[in-house]
Amino acid sequence: MDSVARRAAGLLWALPVAGCGGVQSALDPAGGDATGIYRLTIVMTAGATLIFIVVTALLLYAIFAPPERRAWLGSRRTIVYGGLAFPVVTLSLLLPYGLLVMRDTDVPRPGALRIEVIGEQYWWRVRYPAEDGQAEFSTANELVVPIGRPITVSVTAADVIHSFWIPNFGGKIDMIPGRINRFNFTAERPGIYRGVCAEFCGDQHARMAFDVVALEPAAFASWRSTQAQPAPEPAIPFLARGGELFRAGGCGSCHVVRGTEANGRFGPDLTHVGSRRTIGAGQFPNNIGTLAGWVANVQHIKPGARMPSYGSFTGEDLRALAGYLESLK
Amino acid sequence: MSGTRTLHVLVMLGGMIAWAVQFTIIYGVTSTLCGRGWADATLFGIGIVQAVIVATTVLAFVPTALVFMGLLRAYRSLEGEDASAATAFMMQAGILINGLSLIVILWQGAPALILPACA
Amino acid sequence: MNAPELPNSFERKETDLPNPLPRPEGEFEALKKAWEPPRGISFITAVNNTYVGLWYVGTAFLFFILAGILALIMRAQLAAPESDLVSHDLYNQLFTMHGTVMMFLFAVPAVEAASVYLLPNMQAARDLPFPRLSAYAFWAYFVGGLVFFGTIFFGLSPNGGWFMYPPLTSTKYSPAENADWWLLGIGFIEISAIAGAIEIIVGVMKTRAVGMSLDKLPVYSWAMLVFAVMIVIGFPAIILGTLLLEMERAFDWPFFIAERGGDPLLWQHLFWFFGHPEVYIIFLPATGMVSMIVPTMAQTPLVGYRLVVLALIATGFLSFGLWVHHMFATGLPKMSLGFFSAASTAVAVPSGIQVFAWIATIASGRMRLTTPSLFIIGFLFVFTLGGLTGVMVAMAPFDWQAHDSYFVVAHLHYVLIGGMVFPLFAAFYYWVPVASKRPLSERLGRWVFGLMFIGMNVTFLPMHITGLIGMPRRVYTYPVGMGWDSLNLVSTIGAFMLAAGVALFLVDLARNFRFAGENNAGNVWNASTLEWLPNGNYNTRSIPSVVGRDPLWDQPGLSQDVEDGRYYLPGTATGVREALVTSPFDARPQYILQVPGPGWQPVLAAVFTAAFFLLLTVKFIFTSVICGVLAVGCVIWWLWETDPGPTRPPADIGGGIVIPVYVTGSMNHSWWAMIVLMVVSGMIFTCLIFSYLFLWLVNPGVWPPQGVRIPGWIWPALSAILYCASAALVAVASRQLQGEDRRKPRSVPIMIGVALLLVGGSSAIDLWSQWQSALSPSAHAYGAAVYAIMSLQIFFVLTTLIMGAYTIARWLAGKLDSIRRTTFDNTMLFWYYTVGQGLVGLLVVHGFPRFTGGV
Repeated sequence: MDSVARRAAGLLWALPVAGCGGVQSALDPAGGDATGIYRLTIVMTAGATLIFIVVTALLLYAIFAPPERRAWLGSRRTIVYGGLAFPVVTLSLLLPYGLLVMRDTDVPRPGALRIEVIGEQYWWRVRYPAEDGQAEFSTANELVVPIGRPITVSVTAADVIHSFWIPNFGGKIDMIPGRINRFNFTAERPGIYRGVCAEFCGDQHARMAFDVVALEPAAFASWRSTQAQPAPEPAIPFLARGGELFRAGGCGSCHVVRGTEANGRFGPDLTHVGSRRTIGAGQFPNNIGTLAGWVANVQHIKPGARMPSYGSFTGEDLRALAGYLESLK
Repeated sequence: MSGTRTLHVLVMLGGMIAWAVQFTIIYGVTSTLCGRGWADATLFGIGIVQAVIVATTVLAFVPTALVFMGLLRAYRSLEGEDASAATAFMMQAGILINGLSLIVILWQGAPALILPACA
Repeated sequence: MNAPELPNSFERKETDLPNPLPRPEGEFEALKKAWEPPRGISFITAVNNTYVGLWYVGTAFLFFILAGILALIMRAQLAAPESDLVSHDLYNQLFTMHGTVMMFLFAVPAVEAASVYLLPNMQAARDLPFPRLSAYAFWAYFVGGLVFFGTIFFGLSPNGGWFMYPPLTSTKYSPAENADWWLLGIGFIEISAIAGAIEIIVGVMKTRAVGMSLDKLPVYSWAMLVFAVMIVIGFPAIILGTLLLEMERAFDWPFFIAERGGDPLLWQHLFWFFGHPEVYIIFLPATGMVSMIVPTMAQTPLVGYRLVVLALIATGFLSFGLWVHHMFATGLPKMSLGFFSAASTAVAVPSGIQVFAWIATIASGRMRLTTPSLFIIGFLFVFTLGGLTGVMVAMAPFDWQAHDSYFVVAHLHYVLIGGMVFPLFAAFYYWVPVASKRPLSERLGRWVFGLMFIGMNVTFLPMHITGLIGMPRRVYTYPVGMGWDSLNLVSTIGAFMLAAGVALFLVDLARNFRFAGENNAGNVWNASTLEWLPNGNYNTRSIPSVVGRDPLWDQPGLSQDVEDGRYYLPGTATGVREALVTSPFDARPQYILQVPGPGWQPVLAAVFTAAFFLLLTVKFIFTSVICGVLAVGCVIWWLWETDPGPTRPPADIGGGIVIPVYVTGSMNHSWWAMIVLMVVSGMIFTCLIFSYLFLWLVNPGVWPPQGVRIPGWIWPALSAILYCASAALVAVASRQLQGEDRRKPRSVPIMIGVALLLVGGSSAIDLWSQWQSALSPSAHAYGAAVYAIMSLQIFFVLTTLIMGAYTIARWLAGKLDSIRRTTFDNTMLFWYYTVGQGLVGLLVVHGFPRFTGGV
């Protein structure tokens, strides 16, 4: 099952990547800071390429040009101009430029939307604090942001060091136990992006990603109010059975489903798990099949994850449970 | 190693030592002031962090410049005299090292002119 | 063209050779006999730099191949997305071991090994000043390294990354022994690196050809000197870091645990304060090699010698101001990042100077396109690119994107393969004729270079893109369709090409390398430096006097005259192995150093040292302690044979120069070594004090934490008085231990004994007073830091106790008196250091919390 799921996940991601951009690319900036860094990247790449060509050309000239024509190159002057003066001048220009970009990148702005993200082995706990009368709520492995409004993400870690990186929106910021770091950016283009953990954090560091969805402000407001609601009641008996299995299976000791008695704090908040694009920290598209496979086979798909595999469900039960989860929109 | 020789080595490396001291002070002071939330104080209207960095940079730059010029003068007066080759070499190396250090010390202070103190 | 860099007035001309012909009967035979290597099974007790150097290089190269194989497995896994070739756990061990082995077991030992072999030859010294120390360093590394590598076959290898960041590597998240293997496994590599550095510093400063003043020192010697000083400054940080992390793991002292006042960032500061200079520690010796090879291949002196020396020294300094650029994403204030950005920018300048110095040298001569030349050209190409991307990542905003992505993987391999591996291969092809009867094959060499050069670029050039389009490092697999698939496949193909090049090199080695003790292939490149003089185990027959930087070009006939014994010390004055010690600046002969010959002591000491660490790792505490005691015992046995005293009156080494065979005081080579060791110790202690202050900084308002009572000032005061008294007693003993009546001052052993009691009592009082105040080392980082400072001090006091007892034993055995007092001098220096460290420690532990008043 898992390899099928992986291929399916791959296909899903292949669609947006088909262009020259990418959902997880520093070369396809979708926010002001990332654009500033991108410009710096282009300037430095162009400069470095030029310098590299000149140095290589000089080297080859020094080797292959006839002795009388390369004699001028063979003196201390070459070192003083090429190795001392030129770097000093170039770097005297580059350093202030780099510092200016640094000053203007990742700047906290008034009126920013605050979001808290906690890195855990190997997923992301996301919390939207209460704001302007809108209730707070938690979610996981998905960051939904409005475009045009500054965002301040406060990050920390619950266990080991992780690093929060959304290449399309700017650089990365480490999530360190005992420290709270902030990362500021503004999304400027609606779309779906992807963030990853950039600091090695153990067994499943490779499978610790998250979705970033940038929405128009109105769409964001509606998403936000939906997320703040408790979970919907199961609409049909099949789903109710799934809900009952969720309860009886003890899932609630680790997971929260607001509006039910499930109030575990250890794992991701599942109140609206059905509304998320992916499961397993950005690993697989979210549907009944993958949810069922996940519950039954976690330790096979993502060995070392904190959740045990629940392989004892019958096929029918598993479908009901997954159906229930999928219905938590 | 005699005292004179030790002094020669210190002079030869002077600028780099000045840079190392400058670096330690500005990094240590910035970290401490920002870490303890003491960075809001001002000195003559500029933030305390920036003030310390600028002052330290000047304090590292001036002695290095003096050593640099002193070595230049001493080396010129050395021409024709029967100094040991090692001494002459150390003077020349000292001129180069202190000269480069002047630039490095300036670069090292540059962030104070551009960046906020603790953000 | 290449103008002379020194006015003529500074040059000394040597006209008459110091020793006349013919040489006395039997002189050469005596020299040969003194330097004869041991035969049979005791072959491994050889300590001569020729033997130890080659074993050392060979072992380092073995680890290069082993770590390379690990990399190939990783590249095979990453060739396709979602591959199941290796498990996540094995992959995590593979990349951890690849990094650790390449850095600690290959790169640093390889450059150190090459210098063990080359430095004495290049400076026409008979051997390094402490041959047994090199042998010890080698064997500890050999045994320890092989066992450490062996853990990969049992799934026990460390899996937390070569940087071992806690809390991932703390007991809570890595309860198994894998992490301990890293921490203790690295222990003996640190020891051998420090031992090597001491050897190199003293070797470069004190054992040179006559007249090889600082301005005539080969660039390689300069590079190794800077290298060794950098090890002395940089390695203590990682030594302390590993100590703290192991104490946290073993005793639950929370240095890095945030809930109890620790901070994971403290580890990162300690690790990178070592880790960044480490890159230059690897790179500088390689540039030193390049600066030797380029002039030979272009058949012209190096252009800009002084500028190159400037570049080496400046790199040495600046590289200590870069460490935070590995921590740009940790959320430090931008101003702090700015400092490191500036310093990271600045360090590009010295590298630029060196690159242009080589280009200018090539232009001023006529470059022969031999295999070493090809590797040099490849090095310039690859390293320039790596240097330029280095400037890019020095800009913090760009680094926020590139950090921990494949861009950095590309950058670091360009710098390390370009900056170190290519020069090392150039060096292999270049210097093999010194060590072998046959040079390596030029025809195969071209293929080796071609495969390695193309393979390297095919592997790592695409990774720049892979990283920027979002692929993070250290992932055992990656999803389909991120646009990374084909780039990764290309990288894998390149990696196997690179490996094919290395394999071909092994073929070349097997076909052509034939060890030569005496009849080496000779000066096949018409090189200019002294390692190309005809040599044997004793190195050169006589020790030449040089007048320029390129002696074999400047002084025609030098080879013959040296071989005929017409230069200094053409035989052996004392009948045993000896080296000529010269003054550090002008290289004037100072005294004849009697060098120890082969012996089992260093081998056994090394084996027991390695066993101590390895058994400690697997928690066989009792056997481990026994091995530790045996290791100390072997070291004492080894030292017992040293410090021979003036075995004969001053000897004539030729040219009317009569020098003693034994000196004491600051001219003595072991005095220098002790000073370097004190700097190492001082750096470890400084890093510990930095850690203490750092923990204070991250714990506002709880220093000391509530409920902790600082012991009354009377106790530290008493402690300090006892320290000072013990130092004063040692000073008095030193004053009494003078004069011509060698055995007169009978009170010396008594004074040392009393001083031992005082220093031990002082340390005990301090420990007792903290213990009385019920300070717990595991409740809070404050207690952990205090106990760490005390533990380090106790270690030094215990070492002082051993040294003091040893000194008393030497006196009682009649091996120490007012003339023969090097042993006493060394103990005295160490004593002063211990007392100084103790006093500063008391001041910090008892004074700082009072001074800050719990702020």
